[in-house]
Amino acid sequence: MEHGSIKDSSSSTFSFADEDHTLANSVRFALNQDPRVTFCGYSIPHPADALVNIRVQTTGAPASEVLKDAVQDLMVMCQHVRDTFDKAVVDSKVSGSVKAMKIKP
Amino acid sequence: MPTVSPLEMDDVPMGQLPPHIQLQRTRVFCASDAPTQTENIQYSGAYASMGVDNSFRLDDFVKNFRVEVVRLDEDDIEFDMIGIDAALANAFRRILIAEVPTMAIEKVLFANNTSVIPDEVLAHRLGLIPIKADPRLFEYMSENDTPNEKNTIVFKLHVQCKRGDPRITVKSDQLEWLPNGSEFQLVTDNSTSNSNSNSKPKTYTSFSRSQTSLPEFSEDSIALKHNDITIAKLGPGQEIELEAHAVKGVGKTHAKWSPVATAWYRMLPEVVLLENVEDEKAEELVKKCPVNVFDIEDVGEGKRRATVARPRACTLCRECIRGDDWENRVALRRVKNHFIFTIESSGALPPEVLFTEAVKVLESKCEQVISDLS
Amino acid sequence: MDSQPEPVSYICGDCGMENTLKPGDVIQCRECGYRILYKKRTRRIVQYEAR
Repeated sequence: MEHGSIKDSSSSTFSFADEDHTLANSVRFALNQDPRVTFCGYSIPHPADALVNIRVQTTGAPASEVLKDAVQDLMVMCQHVRDTFDKAVVDSKVSGSVKAMKIKP
Repeated sequence: MPTVSPLEMDDVPMGQLPPHIQLQRTRVFCASDAPTQTENIQYSGAYASMGVDNSFRLDDFVKNFRVEVVRLDEDDIEFDMIGIDAALANAFRRILIAEVPTMAIEKVLFANNTSVIPDEVLAHRLGLIPIKADPRLFEYMSENDTPNEKNTIVFKLHVQCKRGDPRITVKSDQLEWLPNGSEFQLVTDNSTSNSNSNSKPKTYTSFSRSQTSLPEFSEDSIALKHNDITIAKLGPGQEIELEAHAVKGVGKTHAKWSPVATAWYRMLPEVVLLENVEDEKAEELVKKCPVNVFDIEDVGEGKRRATVARPRACTLCRECIRGDDWENRVALRRVKNHFIFTIESSGALPPEVLFTEAVKVLESKCEQVISDLS
Repeated sequence: MDSQPEPVSYICGDCGMENTLKPGDVIQCRECGYRILYKKRTRRIVQYEAR
């Protein structure tokens, strides 16, 4: 859910129910590296409530668009992590335990 | 005299950070008093004044991200994840512990328990037993759902110790899977009156078919991970008769659903010798390290020099930089974007599957956000 | 509640003998006459949350 103003779409607070640091910190990471973002941060108003607020302020672009792009980036990253990981696991299974013995500290 | 911006001076490299700042950006410094430079600089404009763009580019990530599996066996995996931010590595860790679903015993129906262990304690013990069943084949059971073959696994335990026999230990292998669901009949008011009309008596579950007949389950697809977990002890004449109903859940509801014994990561330790450490000093250094990170090599002419042979073994105990001016000879650092990730599965799924499931969970969270926004 | 009250089993506190009592019966062991009886657990299902 977005809490923003009608006049200025460049800064908004977004509330996500049933989410915590897991998503919020990842989203903040993705947002911070977007040059359009002037400020972003998140807070959990009360530790007993499953709710996070993510604040986004931009140089002019609509905050919801920027957030959506950031989340999209995050998703692509996840997919790439999964592909790379799966490949690495297959490789390690193929090459067997010989290699594993060597790397082990 | 014309004013020259400091950025345009000859010795300022454009487009890249000066080495010491680059080092601060990519390493945690573990000094003898405290670690410094522990934060990750994420802000895209952090180095704008130096003409360096810190914004994130997806293709750079794709190019630089690497995974190397170090160790993989039935229950454990150790792998290196290189080129990723702590925010994401930590998200994966948190999801592994709290949000990847498994099956665990949630309801225990006691018909009889004359053992010394109270019902509620026994129920709690049963809840913690890891079940080897693929949670992806099951549905969540919400409060109003009736237990059926798609959301519940039923186990039976009926043991007794005969009078005159010695004490017996009840182990988890005595739990028997009931693919047809509960065998306990529901006692209802009209059960006596129309019991003849109903061909099948009502039980605590309503399975429409046996779980063994479902195509996704083979004969041995549902079992307990360990057969030697002590559940209770029975003295002569004591008896336990119960049914345990397992459902799907996640670790944040209760730790019994956590699919990992634990999942953790550490940043790659980097041990650097700032000057040549030779002869007696080298031997002293080797002796200082409790995990044997350093070796001594011969450099000819009777000279011996310390080398960093096994930096991965370093626990950053900081013994090697204690006393005198050792801090000027050895630098301990951690690489900020290199994670040594370890996952210990508790048995429901193999560890490599757990990690991909965790990444999928984060993806579905993102998907949810995108659909919420549009 | 129930149409026909089921007899309830009790265990003698002294000799361990199983006694079945109906409402109105004297509370006393049939074997040894001891007057302290403990109720025997019935097979009624009790449900616990495994938490």
